[in-house]
Amino acid sequence: MSEVTRSTEATSAVAAAYAARRRQSQPTGWWGMALFVATEATLFGTVIATYFYLRFKSAQWPAPGVEPPDVALPLCLAAALVATSVPMLLAARAASGGRRAAAVRLILLALLVQGGYLAVQVILFKRDLGDFSPRDSAYGSIYFTMLGLHHAHVVVGMLLSLGIVVKLLGGLTNYRVIGVSAVALYWYVMGALAVLVVLTQLSPSL
Amino acid sequence: MGIAATPRAQARIDRLDRIWEEHRGLVGWLTTTDHKRIGILYFFTSLTFFATGGVEALLMRTQLLAPDKHVLGPDAFNQAFTMHGVTMIFLFVIPMATGAFGNYLIPLMIGARDMAFPRMNAVSYWIYLASGIFIYVSVVIGNAPDAGWFDYVPLASREFSPSSGIDFYALGLMFNGIATTATAINFIVTIFKLRAPGMSLNRMPLFCYAFLAVSFALIFALPPLTAALGFLELDRRLGFHFYDVAHGGDSLLWQHLFWIFGHPEVYIIVLPAFGIATSIIPTFVRRKMVAFPLVALAEILVAFIGFGVWAHHMFAVGLATVTTVYYAAASLIIVIPSGIQLFAWITTIVTGTPRFKTPLLWIVGFIVYFVFGGLSGITFAVIPFDQQLTDTYYVVAHFHFVIFGAAVFPILGGMYYWFPKVTGRMYDETAGKVSFWLTFAGTAITFFPMHIVGFLGMPRRQYTYAPDLGWSALNLIESLGAYLLAAGLLLVVANLAVSYFKGEPAGNDPFGGDTLEWSTTSPPPHYNYAVIPKVTSPYAMWDREDREEDARKLDRGELTLERGHETAASTVLDADWDEVLEMPSHSWSPVMVALSLSLVFAMLLLGHWVTAGVFTGLVALVIFGWHMKEPQEA
Repeated sequence: MSEVTRSTEATSAVAAAYAARRRQSQPTGWWGMALFVATEATLFGTVIATYFYLRFKSAQWPAPGVEPPDVALPLCLAAALVATSVPMLLAARAASGGRRAAAVRLILLALLVQGGYLAVQVILFKRDLGDFSPRDSAYGSIYFTMLGLHHAHVVVGMLLSLGIVVKLLGGLTNYRVIGVSAVALYWYVMGALAVLVVLTQLSPSL
Repeated sequence: MGIAATPRAQARIDRLDRIWEEHRGLVGWLTTTDHKRIGILYFFTSLTFFATGGVEALLMRTQLLAPDKHVLGPDAFNQAFTMHGVTMIFLFVIPMATGAFGNYLIPLMIGARDMAFPRMNAVSYWIYLASGIFIYVSVVIGNAPDAGWFDYVPLASREFSPSSGIDFYALGLMFNGIATTATAINFIVTIFKLRAPGMSLNRMPLFCYAFLAVSFALIFALPPLTAALGFLELDRRLGFHFYDVAHGGDSLLWQHLFWIFGHPEVYIIVLPAFGIATSIIPTFVRRKMVAFPLVALAEILVAFIGFGVWAHHMFAVGLATVTTVYYAAASLIIVIPSGIQLFAWITTIVTGTPRFKTPLLWIVGFIVYFVFGGLSGITFAVIPFDQQLTDTYYVVAHFHFVIFGAAVFPILGGMYYWFPKVTGRMYDETAGKVSFWLTFAGTAITFFPMHIVGFLGMPRRQYTYAPDLGWSALNLIESLGAYLLAAGLLLVVANLAVSYFKGEPAGNDPFGGDTLEWSTTSPPPHYNYAVIPKVTSPYAMWDREDREEDARKLDRGELTLERGHETAASTVLDADWDEVLEMPSHSWSPVMVALSLSLVFAMLLLGHWVTAGVFTGLVALVIFGWHMKEPQEA
């Protein structure tokens, strides 16, 4: 009996690290996030499937008068977003090891890159909107919907990161250790989805 | 526990009562995170929607009672059948089965004290309520959706349905989907992580397997619906072209996306019923389920295969022959896991010593109608037959036997079965049996003749018919059957309502039930169990020694977890005790989240995009505020 931890009572860095070390299986918070990203990934799967469904039904793709997308910049951006999984992974390790300051710094580093990614993506989105409109053709509709959906998920991820950083500034608890690992999981999946989305987006040029 | 508690045990019970006490009155209901109270809220809300959908059905049957009647005009009739479908599927069956039964029973059956995410559980309920009101505002303002519950484009596009009814439908169902997804996640994590230490997966009741399968199906089935509805709104409101053939879109895309959701949805509706059947049968035939592992696997397999058959709803739209043949074959495969369960139920009943009390009667009725609806379902896998009968009353007959006969009968049986547990009082057995036979007969009389009028060529969704087509007598019989059916259902409600005030005290375990919920008091205390129960088999309540051990453990103070709002968490497969969790208690955040989200959807409906964005920020703030308070700070 005594070997089981009352992990939610762990409100210091040392106690939270101890609880994390003693835990044999993933906590409820991690499972909640895993299932949430599973349902979001299905949403992206549906949108990507719709892209190809419409594409195979169309005689010309991209729609007449629309240039095929540039390849280099979107690929580099996706790579940058995927790369932020590394600081997030390290942040989750730091938090479960009781190293709060390191976790905060790593999440902020990832946030910096994610913020830059989003800024460039918004500029590209606006530039594309100047070239062709979602109201012109089904190609434009699915193109902008798919990208907009992914950008929205990046915004949500940044809010999650920001929220957990604010909480971490008040100290480390078991609850926050699990929070960091859940937010990190969100970012791994967003990175993977970014690759799928960008490859779909660029497929007419590849 | 059956035995009088010792003073030491009583002191522990008093202490737990104090710790888990909730606010009283309205505030208590608004801020509750108790899965049982949330289940009760779900029950009454979905029952109200059931009554509403029932009134819509009766209006339609009255309109069709005789040829050339004018109870409802053509527009009102379109609205009535659309709202009937939307209400029964999204606002009654799913929330009743998962929200009410699942919420109330799953933590009890696995020996936990609450759901894994109690506040998110409350959020689910309040969002469900808000989405139901949202959809019904369309009826109040006389602008209800009228394109059928599956809302095919191009009929549902802006060009042919310019009024806001379709927008209520699309946004309302997206709104509703958030609640259902959250519930599904909650069930899975609860079942994975909060099982009493020792309840390894092979010791988990079949009821929980059914709900696990449903929850996974929901998580993967709802996103295609959300995407389809999102595309529809983008087309209608912002002039996009997903479904617009003239600009490179495709109207069949809607049908694919809708049925990728819509067919798993059939199993989402029926699987909780299977779970209820596997709870009621062992109790009333005094034996364990035959082929336990096969039934558990079949429940999961049905949910899985259900994702691969959607295009059998689309045999008449001109898909390639190879495609239709594949879907016909896949649809036939579902017979195998369904058959395994069916034969397991029948064998269990036949080889046991059945007591045909009211709950078991409903299950027998369910088995009869499930076979019936299943057999007429197989006929649709014969493609030429399907092409002849699609969009006739034959289809209506089939899916009402499945949805009403196979999904709602166990729900009604479950209401009787768990009524003593929830209220502490017994229902009236005679009135219960009468209500069953009325409903059983009403179902057959209403829906069986629909097969025949279908053969005679009567199309569905028609508001009236001419007297010389030979459909009049059968339609009259159907309508009379519908009134009989309504009388049966009213008797169910009346029986339970009267018994709530006048019923005999039920005690903890009036039926000799097989699962854990019968070991606690009726109604259960807020913390469910004073001791996290010991579990060594899926029929925990029949393991007398374990239950006596629980009483001794209470005396010793072992696994009573009485320091706060605590419950035990275990590992996923073997249920080794892993940690003690502090559960959050009452909170205003869930209501606030639902309210702010309602504002977002209201603004989306009105087309105030910027205001909707501002309210989305409000939702984010509320969610952040909610997480400021951690469970151990409660």
